[in-house]
Amino acid sequence: MDFNLSKEQSLIQQMAREFAEKSIAPAAKQIDEESKIPEEILAGMAELDLFGIPFPEEYGGADGGYDGYVLAMEQIAKVSGGVAMTMAAHTLGLGAISAFGTEEQKKKYMIPGCKAKHIVSFAFTEPGTGSDPKQITTTAVKQGDFYILNGTKRFISNANYPGAMVVFARETESGEVTAFILDKWAEGYSISEPWEKIGMHGGQLLDVYMKDVKVPADNLLGKIGQGFPILLLGIALGKIGTSTAALGGTLAALEEASKYAREKTHRGQPIAKFQAIQLKIADLAIKYETARWLCYRLGCLANDIKDPGKFAAEAALVKAYCGDNVVDAARIAVDVHGSYGLMRDYTIERVYRDAIIGPEIEGVADMQKLIVASSILRSKG
Amino acid sequence: MAGILIYSDKDKLARELLTVAGLIADARGWEVKAACINNARQCQLLSAAGARVYQIENPAVLPADAANVAVALKEACGKLDCSIVLLSSDRRGRELAGRLAQVLGAGCLTDISAVKVEGEQIHCQRNALGGATVATQYIDGEKQVLAIVPRAFAPAPDRDGGSIDELQVEVPPSRIKLLEFQAKDSSSANIEEAPVLVVAGQGLNSQEDLAAVESLAQKLGGELACSKPLATDKKWLPEDRVIGLSGKKCQPDLAVLLGISGQVQFTVGIRDARVIVAVNSDENAYIHQMADYSMVADLHQIVKELNDALA
Amino acid sequence: MNVVVAMKQIPDLQQIRIRNRQPVLEDIPWTMGAIDKNALEAAVQIKEAQGGKVVLLSAGNEELEDTAKEALAAGADEALLIIDDKLDEMGSAEIAKILAAAIQRIEKIDLIIFGEGSGDNYSGQVGSRVAEILGLPQVGYASAIEVQGESLRVSRSLEDGKELVEIGLPAVITVISGINEPRIASVTQILKAGKKPKEILDLSDLALDLGEICPVKTESNLAPESDRKRVAVKSVDELVAALKGENLIGR
Repeated sequence: MDFNLSKEQSLIQQMAREFAEKSIAPAAKQIDEESKIPEEILAGMAELDLFGIPFPEEYGGADGGYDGYVLAMEQIAKVSGGVAMTMAAHTLGLGAISAFGTEEQKKKYMIPGCKAKHIVSFAFTEPGTGSDPKQITTTAVKQGDFYILNGTKRFISNANYPGAMVVFARETESGEVTAFILDKWAEGYSISEPWEKIGMHGGQLLDVYMKDVKVPADNLLGKIGQGFPILLLGIALGKIGTSTAALGGTLAALEEASKYAREKTHRGQPIAKFQAIQLKIADLAIKYETARWLCYRLGCLANDIKDPGKFAAEAALVKAYCGDNVVDAARIAVDVHGSYGLMRDYTIERVYRDAIIGPEIEGVADMQKLIVASSILRSKG
Repeated sequence: MAGILIYSDKDKLARELLTVAGLIADARGWEVKAACINNARQCQLLSAAGARVYQIENPAVLPADAANVAVALKEACGKLDCSIVLLSSDRRGRELAGRLAQVLGAGCLTDISAVKVEGEQIHCQRNALGGATVATQYIDGEKQVLAIVPRAFAPAPDRDGGSIDELQVEVPPSRIKLLEFQAKDSSSANIEEAPVLVVAGQGLNSQEDLAAVESLAQKLGGELACSKPLATDKKWLPEDRVIGLSGKKCQPDLAVLLGISGQVQFTVGIRDARVIVAVNSDENAYIHQMADYSMVADLHQIVKELNDALA
Repeated sequence: MNVVVAMKQIPDLQQIRIRNRQPVLEDIPWTMGAIDKNALEAAVQIKEAQGGKVVLLSAGNEELEDTAKEALAAGADEALLIIDDKLDEMGSAEIAKILAAAIQRIEKIDLIIFGEGSGDNYSGQVGSRVAEILGLPQVGYASAIEVQGESLRVSRSLEDGKELVEIGLPAVITVISGINEPRIASVTQILKAGKKPKEILDLSDLALDLGEICPVKTESNLAPESDRKRVAVKSVDELVAALKGENLIGR
């Protein structure tokens, strides 16, 4: 066992840190306030291959593995939760196409996706589903060489960008949940205003309305009725992104709290001199280090998934931990700041709002724990 | 009898080199010889300081062409029987140092800030590890090229005993063509000469805040300077105001450092100031440890108050 | 246009700690010198405009193969590395001879670019020495390089002014950090760096004649002692009074 990064891994980490600090951090407050990521940031990320890290080169990716993805995303998420969320949802969508797509589908959708000409979405949730895929009501009706899709999807990331969307619908002939690749902006596709959410601004969540959207039959992802395994893997891959976004937030909490503790003085002394503050800094470091190694390991596991069910349980464990962990970390970091931590002038205020998103998206923490528990109890039983 | 030769294309730095050469020559009972290339004025200046000056007049020897200057100086060393050459460690001098050392088969040290003769060895101090340390080094051998930091030594005073003789040297045609030289206009900063420097670092919030800092510099009778990121990353100030390893090394009487954390790449350029004042809101900033007077405070507020107090 | 860029592998200066005035170098990662990145960027820009290739040249200890990946990721096409743990002990004169000997193995070189000085020692000799050994003309402290057929127009930045010179090829140029902003390598470039062609030599592969060298010896290498007063000043009034006491204001 060797916990050192390879030269390539540390260069990926350094590169993402440099880009995040030079190009994203100065705009992070603006992204938060305007809930919009400037074009040039997305273009800059595309140039550095940050939208296609784990995917094979033949499909436009960088072949950097999910370990490379985690290392880069952590640095992006440290400076902007919104940008990280966009990157995470996109990579999850591409991950599903990469795992289940045909050669043609991969060529058609992954190449522009990896190059960020398309920003990809993954649409499962509906107003009535919660986390239960059995409740899906979106329908896909076969009509000649096409499927006609009708339905509403809720809280869909990146639905506002052009590109591919992996969408789950009930294929009416079989009655089975099935995945399709839909071109956003196809006729009949429309979106709501973005939801106004508490944090991770810039990573927009929208509702998607499909009214008689014609999807070519060639765009069936996997087989008819294969929706569940695609969903299981997709959501598990998505948890790499949400966990790492939380990891980046935890790092931000640690760094902001340490910086503030050194700079803020009380009665002529920096508050870092007080043990009450030192204990909080230590707690933050512990939270960061534990989350870090869980995420790095999850990234490595994702490079070679042999048993999707086992991987899903691993991902659920990491997500359950990192999601709650970032909220605790941000809360501690706000405590270090005292009242100032509630003010928009302080980065930690945004980090705190971003953190709250962590446990709630991509399956709430309790759901994750149930997945973890069932994998243990079942295997022992 | 072997000798020591000095050369700089800059008159003032050449006079400083005479001082250093004097230290070495005295210890060895040598005499100090000076080469002046296409510079009659410098011949006079150096001979007035007691040097035996050798005037080289040859239009093919261009200061811009280190290769040809090196050939000329090698010939001079041979004809004048000199084994040690002192150069100025400005950009021209540093470029020449390596070339000349190679032509002579000499050892070479550049950026020398202090010199001490210890028996057969000439101990030279220079920064190492990016300025984190100061190394004391010497060249083990007869042939030495030593480049001395500008202003590390006082210019040699006038003294009797100087002379000027012509020296013929042959050099190949220059492979460098000088197309244009644009002297820095006199209004541009000369932070190395300023008695007081007010230095802004990354703690400065915005470019607009520079005006107040500059006004403070004026009130203190000095110049505005900055750390490297303010010039190269933010481009708030020109590069000729940068202090540090790759900028200027300054020794003002007073340096007021504002919002500077104290990375060694910076401090190496200012640590020889007589008095250092540091203002930084981070109490743990290293800069407080190398200050005579330090304030843990917001620099913007302090600049305002100082401007008022000195008005 | 084939350009050689010389790189020095140095310890990451940000991570050097001082203990009892001694620099602590254990476990400090090795990295590419900062100004070398500008030299590389200058070379890559020339290659992009003129065609040809950029060859990274470096001599250093066994970590060099990894460190070279930074430069290969940032645009060098191939690497010629001289790897030998003895190199860490060598001075500018020896290193220059080694680099020059290695350059002579490369076919058809038009231009050799160095940073103005290494990030750690900042002696600035090696470029000039290599130029002399190879019998090439040189221009130091370039702030811009423009290719014009078989020659270059180089702006150089000096303390007292700016100079524009023309120099025939092949030539040696050293650059200042202001010449450009080095690009950030993409994930793909980082991952391909290790797969780019490289030739690794050890000292015995080079027909070296170190000849007459007056080596530099180091007596001591210590962090400077600070004899600053370190007075914590609480107010501007107090500061003004102190500076008056030093005879620095109100003269």
